Amino acid sequence: METIKNYLEAMFAGLPDTAEVRKAKAELLQMMEDKYNELRAEGQSENTAVGTVISEFGNLDELADDLGLKNEVQEFNDAESANPRRQISRDEAASFIENRIRKSLFRAVGVMLCIISVACPIITSQGDTQIVLAGPSLMFVCIALGVGFIVYSGFVDSEWKFIGKQLCFIDMNTASYVKERRKSFEGVRAICLTLGIVLCIVCWVPCLLFSASARVTIGPALMFLLVGIGVFLIVYANSASKGFDMLLRVNDTKTISGGYGEPAPSEMKYVSKTAETIVLCYWPVVTCLYLIVSFLSFRWDLTWIIWPIAAVSYRAVVINCRSDD
Amino acid sequence: MTEISSDVIRGYNDTMILFILEQEPSYGYEISKQIKRISDGKYLIKETTLYSAFTRMEKNGYIESFTQEQDPEGNGKKRTYYRITDSGREYYRAKCDEWSLTKEVVERFIKI
Repeated sequence: METIKNYLEAMFAGLPDTAEVRKAKAELLQMMEDKYNELRAEGQSENTAVGTVISEFGNLDELADDLGLKNEVQEFNDAESANPRRQISRDEAASFIENRIRKSLFRAVGVMLCIISVACPIITSQGDTQIVLAGPSLMFVCIALGVGFIVYSGFVDSEWKFIGKQLCFIDMNTASYVKERRKSFEGVRAICLTLGIVLCIVCWVPCLLFSASARVTIGPALMFLLVGIGVFLIVYANSASKGFDMLLRVNDTKTISGGYGEPAPSEMKYVSKTAETIVLCYWPVVTCLYLIVSFLSFRWDLTWIIWPIAAVSYRAVVINCRSDD
Repeated sequence: MTEISSDVIRGYNDTMILFILEQEPSYGYEISKQIKRISDGKYLIKETTLYSAFTRMEKNGYIESFTQEQDPEGNGKKRTYYRITDSGREYYRAKCDEWSLTKEVVERFIKI
């Protein structure tokens, strides 16, 4: 019976979502179901019954005429030939997902390297002149590597760039496959996000632990390492799982098959352009502030206090800058 | 094996459906089964053909649809039933006359 439903679903996929079309689909399914049940009751195998029902179904062209959908079907066919919708097959979906996971990994490593790079000048700042000078150079090497990874991650999925530009569609089979993959990734995602957030929350602990030691810079260096790993996990999990939603959303929601995914969440809205700039620049500015103050005062054992204060005031800033509608 | 010309029979799908509905109200699959039975399995009406005929004839006022429980006990889903209207009966009679004439004329040119 599942096969029959899929078949009907595919036949109706391109038709507009109107009351008439819904009714037609429901009625046709009812007739097919009645026939299927009777064939099964007569002792036919599932496959034979499905085959008979589908072969005797007919085609939708004559139906479209009587439903007053001739224009819609014509328009749909015209649009189809002028700008063909590209079907994404199950195999393609599978390789898209592999690709997306690889891309997310590269991107997350890149971001992590950029964050960790800051630890280099911090850790070397407490040594001889030569070592002190090595710090910034190491930092730039790290940043260069990180940026390299991020740029490369943009090329990893270049063959999939057409998603979002061209009209694409997936059938129910592919959709349920993608949903299955998303479900099995859900566990990995939960672990990554939890661990990532925990790492970001406890990142200041090393500062506290090493504040009394002779090498106070170990604390902040470790802090950036922890944040780097935490952000790596969060970026990886979110970016990879976004891939599943991207696939599930490719369908045109105006047709009766509709989208298989939830509609895209609306982006955060700001009260003004200035508010948006403030929110977007907040963390980079705080990071710069922290580094400047720390290097100038060289009180690494105290300056970490900037982070918890910044985190609390961030909420206040966001609440004031976000518009609710 | 000879097959029914779909062009010719298309004009008489409505007649067959109205013939069945004149006896008692019925629903989609039941009607297609009746057509198969009465034609000794020589004509199988396709689901899409049947449903187009329903919508067309309902629009023209020859039949009316109503929903009814699938079984008398009232458990289970509702089903769409159709019944013939007075103008449907008139239309049916007209189609019968039309067919007699058509048959009479064509018959004169047929050698068996």
